[in-house]
Amino acid sequence: MTQPAARSRSRSLRVAIAARDAERAAALRALLESLGHLIVTEGEAADVVLADEELPRDEERATVVLGGTDTDAQGLLPATASPAEIDAALHAVASGLIVRSAPMRTPGFRAARESEPRLLLTPREAQVLDAIADGLTNKAIARRLGISLHTVKFHVESVFRKLDASTRTEAVARATERRRQETIDL
Amino acid sequence: MAHEPNLLCTLSDSLAARCAIAKESVASVRLSERARLGAILWRNDVLVSSEQSLPGREALEATLPDGSRIQGRLAGRDPSTNVAVIRLERPVSAPTLAASLPRTGALVIAVGSDGEGRASARLGTVNSVGPEWHSLRGGRIEARIQLDIRLAASEEGGPAFNAAGDWLGMTTFGPSGQILVIPAATVERIAPVLAASGRVPRGWLGVALRPVAVPDELREAAGEASGLMVMSLSPEGPAAKAGVVAGDIILAVDGAAVRRLRGVLAHLGSDSIGKPVSLRLIRGGGIIVIEATIMEQPPR
Repeated sequence: MTQPAARSRSRSLRVAIAARDAERAAALRALLESLGHLIVTEGEAADVVLADEELPRDEERATVVLGGTDTDAQGLLPATASPAEIDAALHAVASGLIVRSAPMRTPGFRAARESEPRLLLTPREAQVLDAIADGLTNKAIARRLGISLHTVKFHVESVFRKLDASTRTEAVARATERRRQETIDL
Repeated sequence: MAHEPNLLCTLSDSLAARCAIAKESVASVRLSERARLGAILWRNDVLVSSEQSLPGREALEATLPDGSRIQGRLAGRDPSTNVAVIRLERPVSAPTLAASLPRTGALVIAVGSDGEGRASARLGTVNSVGPEWHSLRGGRIEARIQLDIRLAASEEGGPAFNAAGDWLGMTTFGPSGQILVIPAATVERIAPVLAASGRVPRGWLGVALRPVAVPDELREAAGEASGLMVMSLSPEGPAAKAGVVAGDIILAVDGAAVRRLRGVLAHLGSDSIGKPVSLRLIRGGGIIVIEATIMEQPPR
């Protein structure tokens, strides 16, 4: 069985731990071991540091902070991040990238935008998109909504055009971002 | 050390002198071990800061311009204008702020604090000054002021001044890293209400809405190309009580097409509470009108 995503991240990293107490350090150690990483001690070269809550003072190495608020950290994940998210963040930060999880990104104080009607989805198109997000095929969407396969294809095409998407994944991602920006509470 | 006075030295000395004065109006709020937020010493017992960056807890510690620490309480927040007020446990000395409207291209100094009583300063120009605008949360902001400076997270919420030392407003992060100023006029309008009652009353329908295109076959009857589809309702809200259901598409509020959100928000000001409002909407392929009574928005 091939798992391209898993293979590209399978390289084991040398990780240093910075935790507030021995108990947390042990938990992080167990997590890193389960992910197949090498835990290094102080003084040894590390690819990346995994810190708990706070970015350690004077830490100049690439660091992933769990549950912190310090935006100086190269990697910043909520305390509730899954092992897979932590693993992905460690690899990304070790490669020189900056990592934030989507919900933590502050969108900034913004204006109520007036949407371009041409690019808005109709209620039916929104239903089709929800079905796409659920992973349904066109045939399954037709069954769910009680419409013909031809009509589904027509709606899917329209959704792709309005969201400027070329794949189903892209369409769902664009729609999620739009929804986040456009939902209004009155 | 003797040096010949020149324009640059004069400019530099003036800026430094301005910062020294401006610093006396800047406080710093502690968010965590390392994270801080700027604040304006707005009255002798009230700080004003950026609502979007303040945590949910009420007790806050601030550092005053002289470096001393003081306890405060988050006394009110208004997400619609991004203004929050922090009541200090005792009055301190606060300079009077003279407010002014910025001009595009004019120099601007944004001031922050390091949390130990030392100031940090940013110099730039007023990138643009636009008309009154409405935030996503429905608040009216007197002017859209954008600066061409950078700002550290710990400097947000501090004051911005012009070259004359007039207070322009509070710095805040806008979309895509833009640095905006909540105008002094907005702060002066909202902060007293927050300080007195903890919140700004707003008209409320109790609906979460998403813009949608009106299906082709209903365009003509609707007279609109877009509307706002009801995604969810607060069970106790005016819309739910009036019989609005999820899936309805609101076209107009009291005759104001929802396409122009500003017009709708204008119908939901604090003076709208208790007043009847007519909602024109699409339901099941037809167009109906429902009467609702606007309520005061409950605290979040």
